[in-house]
Amino acid sequence: MIRLTIDGQEIEVREGTMIADAAARLGIDIPVYCYHEALGPLGACRMCLVQVEKMPKLATACTTAVAEGMVVHTSGPQVDKGRKGVLEFLLINHPLDCPVCDKGGECFLQDYTFRYGPPQGRFQEPKIQKVKDGPINDLILIDQERCVLCQRCVRFMDEYVGEPQLLLEGRGVETVVTTVEGKPATSQFAGNVIDLCPVGALLAAPYHHKARPWNIERQESVCTLCPVGCTTLTTGRDGQIVRVEGRPVVDRNWGWLCDRGRFGFDFAVHPRRITTSWLNGREEAAARTTREIGQWLRQVIENEGPDRVAFVIGGLHTTEEAHQLYRFATEVVGSTGVVVSRDVPGYLPRGLNGTFEDLAAADAVILVGTDPYESVPVLHLRLRERLKNRRQPVQLMGVAPRELGRPTLPVDTLVTHVGHEADVLAAALKRGAPQHPVVETLVSKGAGIGQGLSEADLARLGDALLQSERLVLVWDGVEPEVEAAFIALAQVREGKRTRVLPTFGPSNWRGFERAGFSAQYAALTQVLEAARDGEVRMLVLWGADLLREYPDRRLVEDAYQKVQWLVAEGLFLPTGHEAFSAVVPGAGPGEVYGTYVNMEGRLELATPSVNPPGQARPTKSYLTAWAHALGRPFVVDDEWDPYDDASADLLPDEPVPTTITPIAAPVSNPGEVELVLSAMVWDNGIPSQILRSRMASPLARVSVADAERWGIREEGLVRVESRGETIELSVKVDERLTPGRLLVPLGGSTIPANRLQAGPVKVQRVEEVQAR
Amino acid sequence: MSQTYYLLRHREVPNIGQIAVYRAHGGYEALRQALKQYQPDELVDLVKRSGLRGRGGAGFPTGVKWGFLPKDGRPRYLVVNSDEAEPGTFKDRELIENNPHQLIEGMIISSYAIKANEAYIYCRGEFLRGYEELSRAVQEAYEAGFLGDNILGSGFSLNIFVYRGAGAYICGEESALLESLEGRRGNPRLKPPFPAVAGLYGMPTIVNNVETIANVPPIVTYGAEWYTSMGTEKSPGLKIMSVSGPVNRPGNYEIPLATPLRRLIEEYAGGLKDGRQLKCIIPGGSSVPLLTPDKLDTPLDYESILQAGSMLGSGGCIVIDDSVCIVKASHRLVKFYREESCGKCTPCREGTYWMADVLERLEMGLGDERDLATLTDVADNINGKCFCPLGDASIGFLVSAINHFRDEFEAHVREGRCPLGAKVYDTANY
Repeated sequence: MIRLTIDGQEIEVREGTMIADAAARLGIDIPVYCYHEALGPLGACRMCLVQVEKMPKLATACTTAVAEGMVVHTSGPQVDKGRKGVLEFLLINHPLDCPVCDKGGECFLQDYTFRYGPPQGRFQEPKIQKVKDGPINDLILIDQERCVLCQRCVRFMDEYVGEPQLLLEGRGVETVVTTVEGKPATSQFAGNVIDLCPVGALLAAPYHHKARPWNIERQESVCTLCPVGCTTLTTGRDGQIVRVEGRPVVDRNWGWLCDRGRFGFDFAVHPRRITTSWLNGREEAAARTTREIGQWLRQVIENEGPDRVAFVIGGLHTTEEAHQLYRFATEVVGSTGVVVSRDVPGYLPRGLNGTFEDLAAADAVILVGTDPYESVPVLHLRLRERLKNRRQPVQLMGVAPRELGRPTLPVDTLVTHVGHEADVLAAALKRGAPQHPVVETLVSKGAGIGQGLSEADLARLGDALLQSERLVLVWDGVEPEVEAAFIALAQVREGKRTRVLPTFGPSNWRGFERAGFSAQYAALTQVLEAARDGEVRMLVLWGADLLREYPDRRLVEDAYQKVQWLVAEGLFLPTGHEAFSAVVPGAGPGEVYGTYVNMEGRLELATPSVNPPGQARPTKSYLTAWAHALGRPFVVDDEWDPYDDASADLLPDEPVPTTITPIAAPVSNPGEVELVLSAMVWDNGIPSQILRSRMASPLARVSVADAERWGIREEGLVRVESRGETIELSVKVDERLTPGRLLVPLGGSTIPANRLQAGPVKVQRVEEVQAR
Repeated sequence: MSQTYYLLRHREVPNIGQIAVYRAHGGYEALRQALKQYQPDELVDLVKRSGLRGRGGAGFPTGVKWGFLPKDGRPRYLVVNSDEAEPGTFKDRELIENNPHQLIEGMIISSYAIKANEAYIYCRGEFLRGYEELSRAVQEAYEAGFLGDNILGSGFSLNIFVYRGAGAYICGEESALLESLEGRRGNPRLKPPFPAVAGLYGMPTIVNNVETIANVPPIVTYGAEWYTSMGTEKSPGLKIMSVSGPVNRPGNYEIPLATPLRRLIEEYAGGLKDGRQLKCIIPGGSSVPLLTPDKLDTPLDYESILQAGSMLGSGGCIVIDDSVCIVKASHRLVKFYREESCGKCTPCREGTYWMADVLERLEMGLGDERDLATLTDVADNINGKCFCPLGDASIGFLVSAINHFRDEFEAHVREGRCPLGAKVYDTANY
């Protein structure tokens, strides 16, 4: 530890800390543009000048590391003149068009000029003219005249994201930030440069000229589009959310978002958003529909019993809404079928759930099935940050039916056959701890073959699984047997920390579980089978869209046929809504107050920015009405609180199950092409007009070798046959994809992937009719 | 009466750039001697004892710099800075164009001393001929067995790569040079870490000027004592001075350090042309403050020049006579820095632009009485607040010009024109 004095206050900080960070700890504000803790020091803007005793010149606080006994002054005539000089320099070529700048009022150039700047400029010459409102891509604009050339954006894309799509061009006063060869930046993390920009140079196109700071209110919220649960600030104006920004949380996250989350907020005002009710396939006033549903409920309960009603929750509901529904279902109705909608069959016991802190401390990270870049993008950035910390090396491996490595994240992937992930994990455990009774039980039904993988591969995986001190696994839940492997692994590793980050949805499934619902796939299947068998008369889908989500589409179709009253609540009409008895419009994120639980099992509080549009109502409005129809008391404003006293913002820990379920030997007759199903945040069923250009290209993918075989160039159409069903898919060629695999997003709105089954499929190219 | 103590001694020899001719004049004997008689550390020690200081401008002791290399087994690199772009300086150009083998011999010895197996020459982009000569000479050296594996049976191996820059003055700054050499934008790097710790590709790297490295073979041949017998205690040895301006014999002159400035100008360079009166001298390239004629007797060594109010710098000695308008000269120099500022840090990027504009206005007679104060204050806001030395370099001449020739600046405002009738020709040229 180093002891130093800043403005007369003593502080002790770690060696290597920069003066700026040490000062921040004391609450002393040192102005900076170029410096960002996540990007490291640069020293370009010269805004953070401070005086250090015994140094001949002013020092930049962001590049000067602390030293024992250092005495720093962050103000004084010399410092003030230095800062004033720098600000005057920054302003000579600045257009001073604050009145028409989106950043006006929330701009560091304004703030610092107000605090430290000269009252008047002395520069009389013409200013340099540069590009204004030029595109970075269709979502981000750049005003090169306002740019202070702090390089945050360029360095973020280059060093942090690893997709160097922005650069500095020209030199001296002619330097500009622009894209490589003038091509649009395609990275899904590019939007972060808007937040990083300290001035009004990088702007969100959807927010361009939309509001002034005094028109708007920013609320702390959470992005619900994937299980990462990034913290956000939402800007509401005139009843609409017009902007989402990242919200840094000290010591927890930098506030990065992916573009899916940053620009995908417009689902709330999407043309497909429903704001009126539907009754028997026709639009109907909400009051009438609600009343009808109440009467149906009463009929079922009175005539056939409360067990004939089942509730499936899904979508983007808060934990509190889930709890209200749970209480209504169990206490008012008396139902026992209260389950969570699932699009993959895997389940993770709470006791194994890890946090991002675990990830930061891990010495081995193993991706099981999941490609974070596609399913949980910001986790990809966290993995990159973890990898860049060279002082604590980390081993990054993958077990998946396809290559997981990317230019931005090298992953030592063991490519398995589809459905063989659990077997490969078991095989590695068998090599690493052959005598262990737990492992013996695990493989007692024939698992542990490791088909197609070398002994060296399995031994390497075994070492990573067993020798690492702090192991984190990231799992997509596609293959349910993996859960047994995790439980066995944790037991074999004994005291050494073993944690899993689940990347599957619904994004708030842990919250639904906390509220009382069962998130087990078997429970959901049981409800659907009961419905198919005629035992459920009324099925209430709360945000769930089973026909799109549930892995076996046929079971859902059969169940829908059999159920007498099919009722849905949601933001959009559910798939196959023609068959629904009633659909009522629900309130979405940003419209209700409540908590979401992310993939860490962490509760995150969201404050609404706007009211639900049209006739859309929050959950409790409907429940209160129906309770009234049933003539039963129901008060939702109770004392329930998802937070736990002991575990703070994490859900309370639970013991890991001890029973080891043996894994069966996998089916070992892989076909020529195997279908890989994978969650993709860009096609998660939630529409966006702002992002439609990004969502346009087909997300299903084929490998280069297969594309050549089928005669597909870049993009094409294929017919896929599986489980007796045939669907046609648009595919694009993916040079990273392992040959012999067809990658299809699951749970998406564009492809009915749940008509297919993962594993061997027949694929045929379809000749397209040229429309153009 | 050209001064040719050592580095320029072969100036008159035809085809000295050919390896055969160079060897016939004793070339590569120092290399043979170094490999045979010295252990690498002994060579570092020898260079330390010789007191050789970096000839690129900063004058940092070369042997001390070599001693900074961490002994951690990582690969090391030698990079020769041949990006000579300082206005008024043209010594390295002569060294690489006329006698490339002398540099290559120095590089091999130096690489051996610092245990580097790869060495790079970063050649200024505009030096096409120098680049071609170096490339040819390196090829010759490979063919003669002075480069490649197991040089002269010593077990020491070295490969030299010649790289041509793309025309940026800033790449003469060692860390920007390394960025450029790695294929990135030529912006200076944050120090620490210094290149000796983390330089080219993150490895320990020594960056030395062409003249510095060319001084190594004679130090091996004649010894450290020979070198320290010239110059002063703190500034020993030889230095090539490039003299330009209205003198009778402009050119490069090799002098023992501490030779008086007057002797360089009046004897070697033949004094000013007829009818010209000395106005001032820039002794060390465009980045340093000027010296007035009363400082003519200053000895040309690092310390004395510093005491006289300027710097020896790169040895680019620009003679300015009384026909030159000091405002125009300042404008011309500041404009150079404006064009060459990389744009990384605010004061240099914006300040040079501002100063050049004000100076242009002054020279055109459109200035007002506040301009001089503004100039001085802008220069003060640049001074010591920039990321790299380029910003400070941009104000060196200007500030000294305002101090010594304030009357002339004021006359421009007072008379509303340049009293010397100088014109700004290239106003629309940017």
